[in-house]
Amino acid sequence: MALIENLLQFIGVFVSFSIAYVAFRGVKQTESSSLLRLATAFVFLGFGFLVEGIVGLGQIVPSLPISTTAVVVGGLLLETTGYFFLAFSHAVDVVLSKRMGVALLVFPVISLTGTQLADILSILSFYFVLYGVVETIYSYARTRKPDTLLIALGLALIGVGTFFQWLSLLYLQVDVLLLLQIILKEMGLLILFTPVLRFAVGGVRVNGPV
Amino acid sequence: MAQYRTQIRIIADVLSTARDHNTEGTGVGVTTLLRKGNMSYGRMSKLLGELVGSGLLLELNGEKISKYMISQKGIQFLAAYYSFEDFAQSFGLRL
Repeated sequence: MALIENLLQFIGVFVSFSIAYVAFRGVKQTESSSLLRLATAFVFLGFGFLVEGIVGLGQIVPSLPISTTAVVVGGLLLETTGYFFLAFSHAVDVVLSKRMGVALLVFPVISLTGTQLADILSILSFYFVLYGVVETIYSYARTRKPDTLLIALGLALIGVGTFFQWLSLLYLQVDVLLLLQIILKEMGLLILFTPVLRFAVGGVRVNGPV
Repeated sequence: MAQYRTQIRIIADVLSTARDHNTEGTGVGVTTLLRKGNMSYGRMSKLLGELVGSGLLLELNGEKISKYMISQKGIQFLAAYYSFEDFAQSFGLRL
């Protein structure tokens, strides 16, 4: 089961970095701050999944002594920061986002145990994703774009996944929770991959309405 | 509720007006751009100067008034704008 979990983490890495790549291309061409926040979110998420995947590899290959609490918390912190930027991509007040982002980065300085930190980060992730879902549904109500609704569904799956992640930290003996949270998050991420696929397949529209 | 337009959206609006209303191939006048762009003359003048300077618009100097035509670079910019607007909208975002 550990192997499946790791494979799924690395799929998450691929999906996250693909979305970040398209968003960065958008930033380069349009200088859009919304796309910059989206790209930042997926860079953090990608690195978060990467760290978690590497930690998982350490459990499979005993000769790799990398499964430490600090690294796990580091991975979760990256992931939570990614969800923070994803949620606040919708926020209009950029200054507020920057302040809260810094607050989130200095958060672990407070002396808490690794498990407590992991608990807090997981539940924070859940609230950030929940906020993202609400904002995306609100956006769908305005644009009526089916893709937006699909993204809201993807985010909702990630949200449920992060909730299960939190539960898996509370009930360590229930292995299925860990697998379930990864499957739900990966399903959500794969749905988020849809616009990237459309972008890759559709290419550039020359005559669009304004 | 009315939505404010971002700078990039205003640029896209001006470029698309210059593209779509250039039916005779002689360019589009400032009046048309002002009417479609929905902004003040001063602001439009400044923007047109910037767009001409960056090569997105071509300025055609007539006897009395200047007219504007979208350049190849402008067409490419619009194409990229629409693609990324579509991408951002999928995530519930605006460019």
